[in-house]
Amino acid sequence: MSTNPASVRHKTGSHEAAWGYVFISPWILGMILFVGGPIIASLVLAFCKWDLLTPIQFVGLDNFAQMFGDKKFWISLGNTFYYTIFAVPLGIVGSILVALLMNQEWKSVRLLRTIYYLPSVTAGVASAIIWMWLFNPDFGLINYGLSMMGIKGPLWLADEAWSKPALVVMSLWGVGGNMIIYLAGLQGVPRQLYEAAEIDGAGLWHKFRHVTIPMLTPVIFFNLIMSIVWSFQIFTQVYTMTGGQGGPADSTLVLVLYIYHFAFKYHHMGYACALAWALFLVIMIFTFMQFKIAGGWVHYEGELKK
Amino acid sequence: MEQQQNSFWASKKKQDKMVSLVLYLIAWTGALIFVIPLVWMVSTSLKYPTDIFTTPPKWLPISNIQWKADSTVRSQQAGYVKLAKGANGTQVIYLMSSTKRTAKVVDTMKLSGAAKLNVEKGVYVKEGDIVAELPKTGVARVNGNIIMITDKDGNIIDTIETPPNSKIKVNTGDRVNENDRVAVIPPQWHNYMEAWSPKALSETFTTYLLNTIFITVCGLLGTMLSSAFVAYGFSRFKFPYRDQLFLVMVSTMMIPAQVTMIPTFILFKYIGWIDTFAPLIVPTFFGGGAFNIFLMRQFFMTIPYELDDAAKIDGCNYFQIFWLILMPLVKPALVTIAIFGFVYNWNDFMNPLIYLNSSSKYTLALGLQTFTTMYGSYYHLMMAASTIVLLPILIVFFFGQKYFIEGVATSGLKG
Repeated sequence: MSTNPASVRHKTGSHEAAWGYVFISPWILGMILFVGGPIIASLVLAFCKWDLLTPIQFVGLDNFAQMFGDKKFWISLGNTFYYTIFAVPLGIVGSILVALLMNQEWKSVRLLRTIYYLPSVTAGVASAIIWMWLFNPDFGLINYGLSMMGIKGPLWLADEAWSKPALVVMSLWGVGGNMIIYLAGLQGVPRQLYEAAEIDGAGLWHKFRHVTIPMLTPVIFFNLIMSIVWSFQIFTQVYTMTGGQGGPADSTLVLVLYIYHFAFKYHHMGYACALAWALFLVIMIFTFMQFKIAGGWVHYEGELKK
Repeated sequence: MEQQQNSFWASKKKQDKMVSLVLYLIAWTGALIFVIPLVWMVSTSLKYPTDIFTTPPKWLPISNIQWKADSTVRSQQAGYVKLAKGANGTQVIYLMSSTKRTAKVVDTMKLSGAAKLNVEKGVYVKEGDIVAELPKTGVARVNGNIIMITDKDGNIIDTIETPPNSKIKVNTGDRVNENDRVAVIPPQWHNYMEAWSPKALSETFTTYLLNTIFITVCGLLGTMLSSAFVAYGFSRFKFPYRDQLFLVMVSTMMIPAQVTMIPTFILFKYIGWIDTFAPLIVPTFFGGGAFNIFLMRQFFMTIPYELDDAAKIDGCNYFQIFWLILMPLVKPALVTIAIFGFVYNWNDFMNPLIYLNSSSKYTLALGLQTFTTMYGSYYHLMMAASTIVLLPILIVFFFGQKYFIEGVATSGLKG
């Protein structure tokens, strides 16, 4: 059962191998045409200057030099970091808490899970528009809710200090997607571990801290990596809410929006590619760092510490 | 999903009743907060414009129109000849003798028959004094969407103009008192008509919808066929570098689309595919995305190989095994992919934004974004348009939520 049946049943004939390549050939072609090729092209373009009209010009490291001196690049990188640093941890904590809450046996739990999951499928232009309305400073529901608690709500998307927190709040509406992943993870935690902990007199907090969290860490780890990859690519919400500008005062100018401006508005293809590589590099550094520190906190089954 | 007794909250001991109740309340409060944005969207989409910008907000898209009798006519500023205007259009002219703050009324003139004068010649008035009063009860006279309220002699006290499609709740001859409900503004379904064919845009949502359906259907076809095809190769054959290639495929999920986006755009530009649907459809036939191949491959692995062998003995070739034997068996995985693919295509914004230029080619997401640039302050129309765009997704979600949840749980990825 545990070994791959393909390797047991089938002989490694060259005939069969050929058929294997035939079947994966669409992906290989796609890989060359739409992934590998473009990655190389993008790397080459990052060292060139090209507006799609005049001939390509090799400029060496000029694009990267320009990038270092480009204040807006640093602003957009900072904005992207800001969003990621708040949206990802809050999203993960939020989705774990909701998953714990949904890991119940109430009759209505199915309906509840549906409700929590629903917003994550509406992600896009429409939900950005809904949130523009919710964030309306004078008549939006959020400031109305705050006013009921005696707080005067900020201008949100119209205030450069509050536009990024608004994006983070909006991102939390989508925690349902990750909740499902954690719910599956929670249901895979063996009962015996909880029972053992209870015999040792552990309360809810101890069970959470010493059983649930360690058992979930592989899921959290994978989810963390993918969440960061995605949150660095935030674009649609910002584009919709700010009319493609990243305002007010560049406070929501995120990296992908900045890349979009250079590639598809100004047609500075070389510089846009350099920016895209900067984004890729940042993502890779983050991912690499996580793999590096993963050993310290990610537990795999059989090495559960008490 | 809910196979065994859950174990975190309580395993041996019975869960504390109080704890359970508190958690239940928290769960429902949270759920309420999560649906509010959608409820609010639908509610706003059905409102009459003046009911949108209110404090406190109105939850239901139904509102009563009351007769707000503004009955007092106050002296405004002392002067030689002053016209005091009542809020309901009643006018009283009074003349005063002095420019001081207190003035003597030297003459009065009644312009509206319904108003009752409170001052007479010779008295002194100061700013803010009530110089005339209108009755607080009257008789309704309905004319189309206009309700006139008159006194018993037929003099007009007030005129209420109700929105064209509101339901008038009084008849001609009915007695109306201050704060009485005279009409109801029902849900404004025609907002949807207005949003569907916006006057400020050259295209209607019919165009966007048809374009989106076309792209989605073709994209799904490509994704389902090619991801199953490739997954069949990865799961059923042994060939050199298979596992390495599979690893490469899975790791491409971490490459941000922006890195490949620009050269891919240039490629399509040179083929002449800009402003066509091809860049949105054709790539799906080349594997259909790492996530989908991964999901399909996991599913293929669960199907016993004896089936393949039996088919082979019966003389099937690999294509026949794939198409006739295995495809029918992986339907659940195909449905999962179809549902995720549907949501992805429906919501996709960046690709249509880059590749589609003419508004007749726009997808719903792109059309909706353009809509907001023209109707940014018309929240009822923006919400109606958003509802139009979201409704198909919500429908698909409710019918296919089982597949969503299983798909996410098995792959560990969200859509």
